[in-house]
Amino acid sequence: MRYNLWFGTVDDGIRISEDFKKSFLLASNESPLPFSVSELGLRVLGKDYYRILRKTAIEVAEERVRKELGSDDMYVIALVKALEEVEEAINMVREKDEDIRLVKEDLAEHFERALAEMERLRSQIEKEIDAVMQKIAPNLTEIAGAKIGAKLIEKFGSLKKLAFAPASKIQIAGAEKSLYKALSRMKRGKEARVPKHGIIFLHSFVRSLPKKKRGKMARFLATKISIAAKIDYFRGELEEELFSSLKKRYEELRRT
Amino acid sequence: MRNVRIINGTPATKSRYGSHYGERIFLLGSERYREWIPWRSKLSAMILKGYEIEMKGEEKILYLGAASGTTLSHLADIVDEGIIYAVEYSAKPFLKLLELARERENIIPLLFDAGKPWLYSGIVERVDFIYQDIAQKNQIEILRMNSEFFLKKGGEFLIMVKAKSIDSTADSREVFSRVLKDLSKDFRILRHDTLEPYHRDHIFVHGKF
Repeated sequence: MRYNLWFGTVDDGIRISEDFKKSFLLASNESPLPFSVSELGLRVLGKDYYRILRKTAIEVAEERVRKELGSDDMYVIALVKALEEVEEAINMVREKDEDIRLVKEDLAEHFERALAEMERLRSQIEKEIDAVMQKIAPNLTEIAGAKIGAKLIEKFGSLKKLAFAPASKIQIAGAEKSLYKALSRMKRGKEARVPKHGIIFLHSFVRSLPKKKRGKMARFLATKISIAAKIDYFRGELEEELFSSLKKRYEELRRT
Repeated sequence: MRNVRIINGTPATKSRYGSHYGERIFLLGSERYREWIPWRSKLSAMILKGYEIEMKGEEKILYLGAASGTTLSHLADIVDEGIIYAVEYSAKPFLKLLELARERENIIPLLFDAGKPWLYSGIVERVDFIYQDIAQKNQIEILRMNSEFFLKKGGEFLIMVKAKSIDSTADSREVFSRVLKDLSKDFRILRHDTLEPYHRDHIFVHGKF
């Protein structure tokens, strides 16, 4: 029987690990140990046992936390959330500005300055989203645009989840409320219209078409986004043809 | 209870350290006490309701679901000469937990899934006490697995059970009686009570392995 401990392995004898941080993560055993880790450790490592264990645990945890929180997916999601909040704040402040101007103009200058500052912040965040999206999901960025792509990642939770999601879900992501309303109406035998698009309505290819054709475009766009996300997640290189096929479909729909 | 005092109707723990999560510090003569608000910590609520846990101060404790370390910091004050293995799986609150662990010499932080105790079986020793506060559906199973791996025979546990996370539709009392029945298969239950009015739909169960 071989036992894996954080400071080494035990079978016939004890083998001390050369890298505690590595063996710390390999300290897995199928069943409870028949001896005490700490007693053995105290014998082998001396009275500094707990000090070394604690130091190793902290270092390992620091690295893993950093890796998890520092991942670019999380960064994009945080950026998208920040962007939404800043946009809302800008709208709110602008509205109040107009309200106040109706009565008195005294504060107008201050409001203008603050708004300009916030708009600068917004474009800064947008630029950053562009840059990160370009890096982690070039195809998705090409097909959907950085902002929509980032919003989709935020909606699904990560690039991985987006890559594993069905295109139909991508098509209506962000319109869940009206979808489920429609579905429950249908269940009761009433007439209902299912939404054609959620977040991807923001895409210029969908928005610029006449209402009747948007559904077709949204469906096509969603499938291409799904493919793009899969390429990004598994390969990460830009695939040129994807966008040209999307463009071709758009032209077709616009002409007919 | 060791290193715990009720000051102005709120528990507080004797501590050499500063504030961890914004709690107030009281000075009583030459001793410093950190306020332990019962609304923030289930263990504090339990103590305020008159239930004490006997601690000698040199226990080895396994803490499952340490989150950002609010309750953990006070427990570390209580067992100031022991060791606490603090398990938490979520990275965000772990940042705050790490701050605490760097400061306190008796905390060993473990970023692991408490539902997979075998992954840290070569790290944690047999402990005297398991404290668990995990709002998950399989929280009883988590306690059972961890007890098998790490709890000494005759060791004690304290678990904070949240009814809503086991079954969000059933009546809380019904969930609790189910939990108690389930627990009594492997453990000897010493006492249990709700944490009203500080934490709704929660009970604590204190037992022996």
